Amino acid sequence: MRAYIAKSLLQVIPVLLIVSLIVFILVRVTGDPVALMLPETATAEDRAVLTQALGLDQPLYTQYIKFIGSALQGDFGTSFRYGESALPLVLERLPASFELAVAAMFFAVIIAVPLGVISAVKRNTFTDLIISSLSVVGKAMPNFWMGIMLILLFSVMLGMLPVSGRGGMEHLILPAFTLGVGLSAQMTRLIRSSMLDILNQDYIRTARSKGIFEIVVIGKHAFRNGLIPVVTIMSLQFTSLIGGTLITETVFAWPGLGQLLVVAVNTHDMAIVQAAVFVIAFIVVISNILTDVVYRLLDPRIKYN
Amino acid sequence: MNRHKWFTSGITLLITAIILAGCGAPSTDGSKDSATSTSSKVLTIANATDIESFDPHNNNNTASEAVLVNVFDYLLKNDSQQKKVPGLATSWEKVNDTTWRFHLREGVTFHNGDPFTAEDVKYTIERVAKDNTLKQNSYFKNIKEVKVVDEHTADIITDGPDPLLLNRLSKMGAGILPSKYIEKNGIEAFLKNPIGTGPYKFSQWIKDDRVVLDKNDKYYEGQPKWDQVVFRSIPEASTRVSELLAGSIDIASGIPSTDIERIQGEDGKKIVKAPIQRVLQLILRQSQGSVTADPKVREAIDLAIDKKGIVDSIAGGAGIVTRTSVTPGNFGADPSLYEKTLYDPAKAKELLKQAGYAGEGPTLTLSVSSIYKEYAEVVAAMLDKEGFKIKLDVLEPSAFSERYSSKSFKEMFMIGIGNSLFDASNNYNRYLLEEAKGETDYNNPKVEKLLQHALTNLDTASREKEYQQVQQILAEDRPAVYLFQMEGIYGTGNGVNFQPRSDEMFYAEDITPAK
Repeated sequence: MRAYIAKSLLQVIPVLLIVSLIVFILVRVTGDPVALMLPETATAEDRAVLTQALGLDQPLYTQYIKFIGSALQGDFGTSFRYGESALPLVLERLPASFELAVAAMFFAVIIAVPLGVISAVKRNTFTDLIISSLSVVGKAMPNFWMGIMLILLFSVMLGMLPVSGRGGMEHLILPAFTLGVGLSAQMTRLIRSSMLDILNQDYIRTARSKGIFEIVVIGKHAFRNGLIPVVTIMSLQFTSLIGGTLITETVFAWPGLGQLLVVAVNTHDMAIVQAAVFVIAFIVVISNILTDVVYRLLDPRIKYN
Repeated sequence: MNRHKWFTSGITLLITAIILAGCGAPSTDGSKDSATSTSSKVLTIANATDIESFDPHNNNNTASEAVLVNVFDYLLKNDSQQKKVPGLATSWEKVNDTTWRFHLREGVTFHNGDPFTAEDVKYTIERVAKDNTLKQNSYFKNIKEVKVVDEHTADIITDGPDPLLLNRLSKMGAGILPSKYIEKNGIEAFLKNPIGTGPYKFSQWIKDDRVVLDKNDKYYEGQPKWDQVVFRSIPEASTRVSELLAGSIDIASGIPSTDIERIQGEDGKKIVKAPIQRVLQLILRQSQGSVTADPKVREAIDLAIDKKGIVDSIAGGAGIVTRTSVTPGNFGADPSLYEKTLYDPAKAKELLKQAGYAGEGPTLTLSVSSIYKEYAEVVAAMLDKEGFKIKLDVLEPSAFSERYSSKSFKEMFMIGIGNSLFDASNNYNRYLLEEAKGETDYNNPKVEKLLQHALTNLDTASREKEYQQVQQILAEDRPAVYLFQMEGIYGTGNGVNFQPRSDEMFYAEDITPAK
């Protein structure tokens, strides 16, 4: 087990290097930040001076070597937009994104678990059909559209919840619900098939034949075991939430990593884009390893070689 | 049972995390009820973008300046008509062609209590003039030196006659910084805890969320009107509109033209508009061999476009047609070309025929940044209708900027050009031979002579004439076809009286509580 973890951790290094190289090249071939930084009336000379000052006149490989050298020391360069060190700017956004991701996961679970279980128990009935259709709708509904509709209903018309921004719990509800609904659609289907699988197992049939109440059979014997694969999938989805909430964060003016990244891409703020993608990649890689470990602990049939 | 333990602990962890997240979130600072209760006197304004930093010298963003003007003062200010009025300088005079003397206001203190003196002027202006990595440097690099005459008098010396010095000193980049504070603590510490002499002082900045400013009790012009001013950044326009309708903000900027009616139909909300310093225009190439080198083709382009129609339809009425980019309020404006437009599709067709395109019309490429995509599509359709063949080249903003600064567009590109100096030179320097190279390749010796002279002409009256002459010539030569002057559209609640400014600044002191 320890050897497995050590090996996985070693594999992180090439992955992060490749990610950094791809991002590095992409942000440099897609436009010139200097053009966006200076006023329209700036002369060619002004641009040359600033390009040189930022080190952007040097060959790409020199820039990359410099970048890797500093990145190893935790220095991802200076944000052009804010004029501050990029990594702290990215890290300071993590709590907001994390908070949103946790809350979204909460909504996803409280919606998906009962719906998934019910639809498995009542498989091929009208109820099952309704739940399946709902989850298709939930999956297909674009986040931004749903966000705007929720704002109109709960904030503008009913005045129950704040429209946007980050603050107390009440600010969290709408954006988290928006994200959670999309997630829950996927999870409902997963729980349904996982539960169906278990409901067909011999030990369930045995339990039923012993005359145990159906609710106990489902709640005690089937439900617990049916959720194991779901927990694994949840952790994977959680990491994608951390980096992938761009649209929802923009709609709700939520000051998280996603919004930072959107603005950085628009303003061609290279250092921020690089640092943010690196941090997201790091989180994804590490939690993949963790998920793997948890999964192996849960299922002893998997070997650790 | 091992499996159950994992599951239970997973759920427990999740619930704990939610509780922690809820506790850890910053508390709301009452922004929700700020707009509804006028007694708290909190002004909340929503912009589409956040400020870049609190460094007025290393910033090139109107939305930033709109916030920063409340913290940092200039030596002189522009009033709402863009006339120069005293700021931190009470009066100023020309000593000779390269020296201006400024008499500074006495008894002014920075937010930390340091007195404001001529040393601060020297430090501030020389920093932005000498450090060429600062984004505002290009506006100030012609300043050679600032001499401290005495504690309340400073001479600003330029490397040649500069008719624009006062314009430069009343814009972003000239915000006066505290020299002693920065020399002692360093610029990094200053940017985390900025201080100026303005009516509002820094309280809090949560990036991409809000800037909070508190009133400065010791402001030299007396008690500020608001206890607190909050600038929120809300990128999504429909969210800004919703915040306004929900009553949680007082002013929302950048209202889409499609939302105007919705806001006006709401009780207690209204739309206010003001022309801004930005003219949407088509820049045309006149280089040898280019289709648009033919003046008849350029005139045909101008006549084929129904500018009024564009303003009324896509801009939702928020725009003023013009044949010049030097609009009223800017030095050198020629009112005879303002609020005028040419539209004559029949004549446009005729001109094309005369230019030798009897059957097949000329093919042109129109490049545009995606932010003006809709306008470009309509322009292209109008030109197509009169016989042109337009290839539309829509670019991402950063790709557009790169092509723009490397001057690699083809016959035509669309751009909205602003003017933060309020002077015709800002619009016309691009037609100087040297600058026009590769962009328009415009070459008119008469214009060149007038523009070159006006650059250093300190005689205001004759300088104004020079620019008016240039304008008349350009209106005929058409290195650019002007579509319209844009207007800023704001939504406001009934708690405030707000008259937007053409420079798009939010001077909180000019915005008054309604009761």
